[in-house]
Amino acid sequence: MNTVFKALADPTRRRVLQLLRARPLSAGELADHFAVSKPTMSAHFSVLQEAGLIEAQKNGRTILYRLKMSVLEDALLGFAQTLGWKGKPTEGARHPGGSRERRNEAKGFKEEA
Amino acid sequence: MSTRTISNLLAPSLWVMSTAVAAANWYLQPERRMAWATAIFMLACVTVAFLLVLFGPSEGSSEDQATRQRFRDSLRSGIVFSGLIVLISLGWKLATALGASADPDLWRRATMVVIGGFLVSTGNSIPKKLAPLYSLPYDAGRFQAFMRFAGWTWVLTGLALALTWVALPVQLAESLTLLIIPGAMLVIGAQFVRLRRTRQGAA
Repeated sequence: MNTVFKALADPTRRRVLQLLRARPLSAGELADHFAVSKPTMSAHFSVLQEAGLIEAQKNGRTILYRLKMSVLEDALLGFAQTLGWKGKPTEGARHPGGSRERRNEAKGFKEEA
Repeated sequence: MSTRTISNLLAPSLWVMSTAVAAANWYLQPERRMAWATAIFMLACVTVAFLLVLFGPSEGSSEDQATRQRFRDSLRSGIVFSGLIVLISLGWKLATALGASADPDLWRRATMVVIGGFLVSTGNSIPKKLAPLYSLPYDAGRFQAFMRFAGWTWVLTGLALALTWVALPVQLAESLTLLIIPGAMLVIGAQFVRLRRTRQGAA
């Protein structure tokens, strides 16, 4: 159960689960919704898979992810969304105004590395 | 300790306890020895069969092992809840034989609460039962939505049933049980028909 709480504590992973509620999606389709690197996204998928909340299935050359949540886990996700569990937000997760880099670019300056 | 480990211990323990309670009943009611001897024999056979299924060897490919594991997981909760029901029934007989004048409806209430718990447990795992995508005859998204709906409906049915038997008078609880369970089955059935129609519509 610890792995489930850990998986649900992150807003990006919660968003992934919400997107998968509609239908199974490929890694690429899911990644399109987030301004994060592929390895970061892949790490999120691993955490969700480890917690048994999603399942990956090979479909030709693509990997499709789909929900594998019990009713209790589904309810926990709902609670987490409603109460806004404070996990450590993922760097670069898409915000209403885009990623931090994009917002900085729009303001006309670049963040120092 | 994981949930699976707990149920692995609980499942056979409940049946062993039931066998012990049946033996105590036999001791207290020696005039009915044939009935109790048969009950103990059956309980012992069932316990051994469950032990063999739950802890028996699992050979074969990883796919076979995964299938076997899924079968064991679904069987395990059935063993736990059926064990609880048998234990409650035998325990009530033992209490009566011992002269404990318990509420005659208590064991029925307890049994129905256990059945409610079983529905909750079954419903909880419904959305996790995934068929391979390539073998799905329906749109994957719609099928997933149906499984979630069925799971939630079954869980709420189980909770409603348990609450009904805890809180309401027995006669009212009986009447409501006849509404709650068939009602839930109808709702899930109707949703399944809708799912099938969308497939026919798409074909």
